[in-house]
Amino acid sequence: MAPKTPPSYLMAGMPAGRSTREILQAAAPIALAVFVFGASFGVLAVAAHLPAWSVVLMSVLVFAGSAQFAAIGVITAGGSVLTAIFAGALLNLRFIATGIAVARSLPGGRLLRSLLAQLSIDESYAMAARAGTPGRPDGRTLLVTGACLYAVWVAGTVIGALLGPVLGDPKRLGLDAAFPAGFVALLWPMLSGRHAVRCAIGGALAALALAPFTPPGIPLAGAAVVGLWLAR
Amino acid sequence: MAGPLALALVLGLASLSFIMRATGSFLPNLPSAVTERTAGLAPALLAALVAIQLTGPHGLIQLDVKVPAVLVAAVLAALRAPFIVCVVAGALVAALLRALFHFN
Repeated sequence: MAPKTPPSYLMAGMPAGRSTREILQAAAPIALAVFVFGASFGVLAVAAHLPAWSVVLMSVLVFAGSAQFAAIGVITAGGSVLTAIFAGALLNLRFIATGIAVARSLPGGRLLRSLLAQLSIDESYAMAARAGTPGRPDGRTLLVTGACLYAVWVAGTVIGALLGPVLGDPKRLGLDAAFPAGFVALLWPMLSGRHAVRCAIGGALAALALAPFTPPGIPLAGAAVVGLWLAR
Repeated sequence: MAGPLALALVLGLASLSFIMRATGSFLPNLPSAVTERTAGLAPALLAALVAIQLTGPHGLIQLDVKVPAVLVAAVLAALRAPFIVCVVAGALVAALLRALFHFN
C-alpha cells in the first residue's frame, strides 16, 4: 500500500501513515455517535431555557460533550452560571494531560500547536493514541478525526436546538432525568480499574457530605479534590 | 436564561477549555505525577453530579422518577449500550412513570 501524501501544509514533516480516507473510514461510526450526542445536547440545552444561538455557540467554542452536558445539568438543577462554568471546566481538566501528550505529535510552533490541540476530545485522542506509538499519539489521526467530529458535533447541536422546541414540555418527556442518566452512561465506561472506581465512590461521597452545608459548586470542588487525591 | 447570562456561560466555559487544551503546547515538561492524577477527575465529578441530582438539600436520596431512570441507564451502560440509548431509556422511564402513575 503506497501511502498518499496529503496536500495540506499541516501534514508537512509528519510520518506518512494511513491515508486521510482510511482515517475517516475508521472515524465514521464514532462520527455518527457524536452527531446523535450533539443533537441530544441541543435538545436538552434548549429545554434548559438557553437561547438556541448560545447553545450552538457553546458547541462551536467548547467542543467537549461531557463538560457542556455537565454545565447544562447544573443550570437545569437550579445552579448558578458560575457553578455551571466551574463544573464544566473541572471535567475538562483532563485535557491538560491529553494536551501535553499530543503537543509533541503536532506540527508547527507553539501557537499553531496550541490551536490544533483544540481538536482533541476523548474520541479523537483515543483514535490518535491507538494509531500512534506508546507515549506518542499520531498527530494526523488526531487532526483528521478531530476535524470530522467537530463538524458533526456542531451540526448535531444545530439539529437538536431546532428540534427541541417542537418536542414540548421537557419534564413531561422525562428530559430532566436524561441528565443523571447521561452522567451514569458517561461514567460507566470509565470505571475500568481500581483507581477509577475509588475516585467515583470518593467523589460521590465527598459531594454528598458537603452538599447540606455548602453553597452550590463547593460539593463539586470537593469531589474534584478527592478525585485527584485518589487517582494514584 | 437571558442572553447576556447565556453568553457569559458560553464564553467562560469556552475560554477555560481553550486554556486547558493549549497548556500542553506551552508547558511540555509538567511532571507526569501531576498529569496522571487528572485521570481521577472525570469519574469523581460524574459520580458527584449523579449523587447531587438524586439527592435533596439535606444529602438524603429523593425518591422521584430520576432514581429508576438512573438505575435503568446504569444497567444499560453496564451492558455496553451506546450512550444515546442509555439517555433515551432514562428519559423514557421517567416520562412513563410520570404519565402512568403521576409520580414526581
